[in-house]
Amino acid sequence: MTSLTRRRTLGLLGATATLSILGTPALARSKVNLGALRFTSHAPSFVAYERGYFADEGLDVEFRFFQAAQPMAVAVASGDADFGVTAISGGLVSLAEKGAAKVIGGALAEEPGIDGQKILASLAAHESGLDAPAGLDGRTYAITQAGSSFHYMGAKIAAKEGVTPRFKPLQKVGAIIGALKTGQVDAWSIVPHIAKALAGAGKVKIIGNVSDYIPDYQVTTIFTQAAIASGDRGRAEAFLRAFSRGAADYNAALVDKTAGDEAALAMVKLIHKYVYADKPFEKAEKSIRNGAMRINEGAALNMASVRDQLAWFKSEGLVKPEITENVLVDPSYVKIIG
Amino acid sequence: MELDLRHVSHDYGGVPVLDDISLTVHEGEILCIVGPSGCGKSTLLRLIGGLERPAGGEVLAIGPLPEGCLNPLTFVFQDFALLPWRSAAGNISLALEDHIASRRERKKIIDGVLSRTKLSDYASVLPRNLSGGMKQRVAIARALAVRPAVMLMDEPLSALDAQTRELLIEDFVALWERQPFTSVYVTHNLSEAVRLGHRVAVLSRRPGRIREIVAISGAPGSRRRTDPQLAEVEQHLWQLLRDEAAEADQELVHGG
Amino acid sequence: MADERAKTARPVPYRGGGFRPGRAGWVAPLVFAALIALAEWGTRSGWIGSLTLPRPSDVAMTLWEMMQTGRLWLHLGPSLARLFMGALIGVSAGIALGLVIGLFTYARAALVPLVAAIFPIPKIALLPLFVIWFGIDEASKYALIAFGTFTPTVVSTYGAVDNVDRTLIRMGQSFGLSWGSIVRKIVLPGAMPGILSGLRVSLAIAVILLVAAEMLGAEHGIGAFILEAGSLYDLERLFAGVAILSVLGVGLSYVIGLAERYLLAWRT
Repeated sequence: MTSLTRRRTLGLLGATATLSILGTPALARSKVNLGALRFTSHAPSFVAYERGYFADEGLDVEFRFFQAAQPMAVAVASGDADFGVTAISGGLVSLAEKGAAKVIGGALAEEPGIDGQKILASLAAHESGLDAPAGLDGRTYAITQAGSSFHYMGAKIAAKEGVTPRFKPLQKVGAIIGALKTGQVDAWSIVPHIAKALAGAGKVKIIGNVSDYIPDYQVTTIFTQAAIASGDRGRAEAFLRAFSRGAADYNAALVDKTAGDEAALAMVKLIHKYVYADKPFEKAEKSIRNGAMRINEGAALNMASVRDQLAWFKSEGLVKPEITENVLVDPSYVKIIG
Repeated sequence: MELDLRHVSHDYGGVPVLDDISLTVHEGEILCIVGPSGCGKSTLLRLIGGLERPAGGEVLAIGPLPEGCLNPLTFVFQDFALLPWRSAAGNISLALEDHIASRRERKKIIDGVLSRTKLSDYASVLPRNLSGGMKQRVAIARALAVRPAVMLMDEPLSALDAQTRELLIEDFVALWERQPFTSVYVTHNLSEAVRLGHRVAVLSRRPGRIREIVAISGAPGSRRRTDPQLAEVEQHLWQLLRDEAAEADQELVHGG
Repeated sequence: MADERAKTARPVPYRGGGFRPGRAGWVAPLVFAALIALAEWGTRSGWIGSLTLPRPSDVAMTLWEMMQTGRLWLHLGPSLARLFMGALIGVSAGIALGLVIGLFTYARAALVPLVAAIFPIPKIALLPLFVIWFGIDEASKYALIAFGTFTPTVVSTYGAVDNVDRTLIRMGQSFGLSWGSIVRKIVLPGAMPGILSGLRVSLAIAVILLVAAEMLGAEHGIGAFILEAGSLYDLERLFAGVAILSVLGVGLSYVIGLAERYLLAWRT
């Protein structure tokens, strides 16, 4: 079963043909479009797919890859994707307010003791004295868009240090990396596998950990169309079960490292198919291992963190003040922590 | 100032247009050049005026320039060549601006030529609001403003209707009477040539050669449209031209 | 006999008419108002979902609030400055190069293919490069808008120079005018109609590129405001921003109309 599914992804053009040959068994299953980014934080989705956990739940998953979190949220709202896993952004909150999207679970989280997201400084800024987040006053801080998770992190860090950086929207992660390397912007924060790769190449300096400023930060959440959350409960639960199995495998292999070296290597190989696929395995391996962060067990959701993020969006005037957490979250699916 | 053309010939891309033209334009005379269409009349005028370089021979200017002359060889064009974005006075000013820095001095000259061409009331009018005859008077005023040694007129009345043409001929003659100037006047209209010219040079069909130079007696101012003597000269010119014109016509049809 | 003629007399059928669109100034506002009314009714009745289209009255309210709180000027100011500087640089450089191409054989031979090669490049794609060259602040935004307005201006200018009546230039030469005088007093005014109609296109492109220019590192500006509204999926603000851009476009077109009326008064 697994090999069949795998082959389906490889032969993009052959996909429809294979489906029609397979006939009845494929039709009996529920088709799911899953939004994903090529980040290690999306590993549970890749694991659940590759190891057939989705198939076990009767879900016929097809990935839809995006460049940023915001368009993924829009794709879920428009029905082009059924589920998405990404950071809570102002756009996602607005879509929830319009009755189009709903958060049903948690994924990536900052956890004490686990290397999490990093705060970076450009070499030029570092040379001119930006060696700790306390020095961010008056510096430029890169974000993708207003209301993105980067904006939230930067604002929380700045608030805790009592400094006021200038936020520079650059739309895409690639543009930010370019701007940071050339010293066009001074600082940024990003998931560890990207941060460490950049710092390892000597292009930027790591000046702090996000977890020191936002402990228990619920970085990414699992969300779906509001219609699925309320009207297609079986499918959403099936998805969460499969995702959780993938998360458990991932945590055991790379975060807690309880599954042994062989399982860890197998996990890296699996992820490498999706993340850093254009890089040789040796190079990618380090980044993938370095970037391992906790995915909440059973897709549990840290409600306190979500509440804090929502409050911040409101205080910045990025979302409507009347939105409550119930509009954004359907807490009936997973365990609520925090 | 006199002009002396010595063995002037010219061609366009190997096709001869003018062949060995020798001619003298005397001071104070109006020399008309007539010829069948395509004989190189206008080309000859451009060679005289220095807008084109002759392929052979030379054009010489002899003698001193008249006093205050700003542009010795000055053209009057068939299609007036007025700048549509400048008023009558502005168009005349254009010719002076590179030579006279003082605005007041320019204005004096402009007012002078406008009154000579009876255009004083139209100084600030744009060309599009002027009739064809008025436009050509502005162009003539502009030419007079630079006090040319020789006025080179390239079918100046061809774009106008018959009545206007008649009026302008009278004006032109009156201008010359008041203050004689030297002019080479190219036309295909024989009655214009016999009314205005002291001499008329008849060119052959292409390549243009001088067939004959006909002198016309009597000052242009004394001639009348119905003068039987003029009619005779015109008839003579027509005889000279007729065969050339007919052959030129055939040639155009065949030669394409 | 006369009766015979009267019997066969018939009016000549009219066959003219059509093919000559006239003026009907009242139609445009009416169509506009009808569309807005339709959207308002649709969103109020629920026939159009809130995810599909914002309510026009909400958009108007958003605009009004922006004016009240001064946020409109906060965004409009930098955008207008970018438009002005970028278009000024691009248009003046474009006119200069267009004149050079129009006047000199070798410049034409060398530069026309180059301009043709540059013209179809989507300038937005060059934004990251401009950021490296000119920095992430205003200079790269000016550069993008300047570059976008430059090529169409070059093309329209040298086309306009080509169309200047040669007899006028010949006339200038015959009066012994200097080269500079001929360019300044004959070629440039003669090319002005073509240059101005090219400017209409260039400035519309400038408005389009404004949004692109503000994608990278702009904190304020109409383009940044629209992008932010888009990323927040705030449709009211998105449409408010788009409406401001439209007004900007209409305003620029009006300004060019004024310039045409003033500079080309001789034409009509």
